Amino acid sequence: MNLMANIIINVVIAFLVGSLLLGFHRKVMARIQLRPGPPIIQHFLHSLKFFFKETSFPKTAAMPFYVAIACMYCAIWITAVIVGPISYGSLLLIFAIYAVYKIVEHNAGSSSGSPYGKMSCVRAVFSAAAEIPLFAVLVIIFFQTGTMNLGEIVAYQSANGPLIFSIPLAALMFFILLVSKSPYSPFSITKGKDIISGYETEHFGVLRGYMMLSESISWYILLWVFLTVFIGPLSLLGYLIGMVVITALIAIINTITPILNPNHSVMSQVSIAIIGIGGSLLIMLIV
Amino acid sequence: MDLASLGGNILGTIPLGDIVLYVTPFHLFMFVVVLIFTALIAISRTETQVEGSFGTLKDHKVSVGLSEFKSRRFLAIICGLATAGAMITGDLFNFTLFIALIGIVNVGIVSAVKQIDVLDAAYQYGIIAMICSLPLFGGASIILASTGTLSLFELASMATATPMMIFGSLLLLMGVAGETGIAPFFATKAEMFRTPGSPFILIIHLSSLFVIIRTIEILLIIIKII
Repeated sequence: MNLMANIIINVVIAFLVGSLLLGFHRKVMARIQLRPGPPIIQHFLHSLKFFFKETSFPKTAAMPFYVAIACMYCAIWITAVIVGPISYGSLLLIFAIYAVYKIVEHNAGSSSGSPYGKMSCVRAVFSAAAEIPLFAVLVIIFFQTGTMNLGEIVAYQSANGPLIFSIPLAALMFFILLVSKSPYSPFSITKGKDIISGYETEHFGVLRGYMMLSESISWYILLWVFLTVFIGPLSLLGYLIGMVVITALIAIINTITPILNPNHSVMSQVSIAIIGIGGSLLIMLIV
Repeated sequence: MDLASLGGNILGTIPLGDIVLYVTPFHLFMFVVVLIFTALIAISRTETQVEGSFGTLKDHKVSVGLSEFKSRRFLAIICGLATAGAMITGDLFNFTLFIALIGIVNVGIVSAVKQIDVLDAAYQYGIIAMICSLPLFGGASIILASTGTLSLFELASMATATPMMIFGSLLLLMGVAGETGIAPFFATKAEMFRTPGSPFILIIHLSSLFVIIRTIEILLIIIKII
C-alpha cells in the first residue's frame, strides 16, 4: 500500500478507535455510578464539534507559541502512529514522543497566561518526574529481549511467550502509566477539577479540536504499545478485545478511586516505579 | 552491541577521527524537535500571567520586561542549541559538556526574574547542578580511563563492560540526574516554572527530559548487560 495512504488510514483508525474507547470509558464509569451516562460516541462527536466552533485567543497568550503547541500536540501523536503500528520502529523513539507530549502538556497550560493553566503547568513538571521513571520500564524490556525494536520484541514473544509473564512488574508499571493518562484518573493532577480543565482550560475551537483528536490517538497508541510489548503478536480482533478490556478495567479503577493530591500522586507513582524496576531486575537475576 | 537495536537503523555516520557521529531515527527525531522548539522560542512573545491578589477581588498581571525578555530569550536559544548538540553527539565528553552548559543556562533563564520564590528555587537548583558536575565529569573520566575512548561508536563495539565502566556509568547517571533536576531533585526545579515566560521555561523542561532519554540510550550502550 502507498505509504501516505497507509499513514492516513492508520491515523483515522487511531482517532476513531481511540475516541470510541474514551466514550466507552465514560459509559463504564457512569454505569458503575448508577447513571445512564453519555452515548459511547459522545467523545467522538465532541472532538468533531470543536472543529466547527469559533476559535478565540486569550489576550494574555504567548503568540504564536500558544497555537503552535496545540499543533505540536497533534503532530507528535501522528508521528507515534507512524513509529508504532505502521513501521514497528524503536520503542526508544516512542519514549521520546511521550517526553515531547509531557512538554506540550506543560506548555499548553503556561502559554495562555491563565492561573489554572499555570498551575497545571507546574503540576505537569511534577507528573513528568513521576511518569518518566514509569516509562523507564523500556530498559527492563531491553534487558529481557535485547532490543528496542518493536518488530523484534514481537518476534521474541512469538518464540518465548508474552513478556507479561516473564516481567510482570514491568507490565504493571506500564499499566499504571496507562491509568495515569486516562480521564478522571487518580493520577490526573494536570487536569484535576480543582484547576477547571488544567492545561486545556484556555483552548477553544479548532485548537481544542486538535487537542481532543490528539487525546484519542494517544489513548489508542498507549494501549497498542502495551498490548504489542507485553502480550505479543495479536490479530486485529485481539487488539480490539484487549483495548476494550483494558479501558473497562481502568474505568473501574478510576470510578472507585478519588483524584490524589499532587504530592501523593507523584510519590505513589515514583514508589511503584522503584518497586517495579528493582523487583524486575531482581526477578531477572534470580530466574 | 548493535546500535540499530536501540534507536533504529543507522541513517549515516560522520567520522571525525576517533569520534564518529552517527544518526538514527531516534537521534534525528530528538534533534529536529529541539530545533523546532528553539525556532518557536526565537519568534514567540511571552504570555502575561494573571494572578489573584490576597485580600481583594482584583487580579494583577505579571509580564516580562523588554530587557529581561531579550536576555532570557538569548539564554533559551543557547539552551536549545546545547540540547540539540547533546542529542546528536557521538562523543561522551561532548555529551557531558553539553549537559553542563544546559545546567548553567537553565539557572540563567530564570535568574533574571524578580520573584523571590523563583530565585530561591534557581539558587537551590544551581547548587545541585554544581555539585553534580563532579560525578558527571568523573563518570566520563572513569569510562575513558577504563576503555581508552569516549566515542560511543567505539564503546558500542566493545564485547563486555568492566566493573569500572559500570561504576563510571552510575556516576554519569547521578551527574545527569542532578544537572537535569529529575527525581529526587525535581521539587526545586518545578518552583522555577512559576515565573511567566512560557517559551523560555519550555526549554528548561525539554532539555531535561530529552537529556534523560539520551542518557538511557548511552547507559545501555556502555553497560551492555545483554
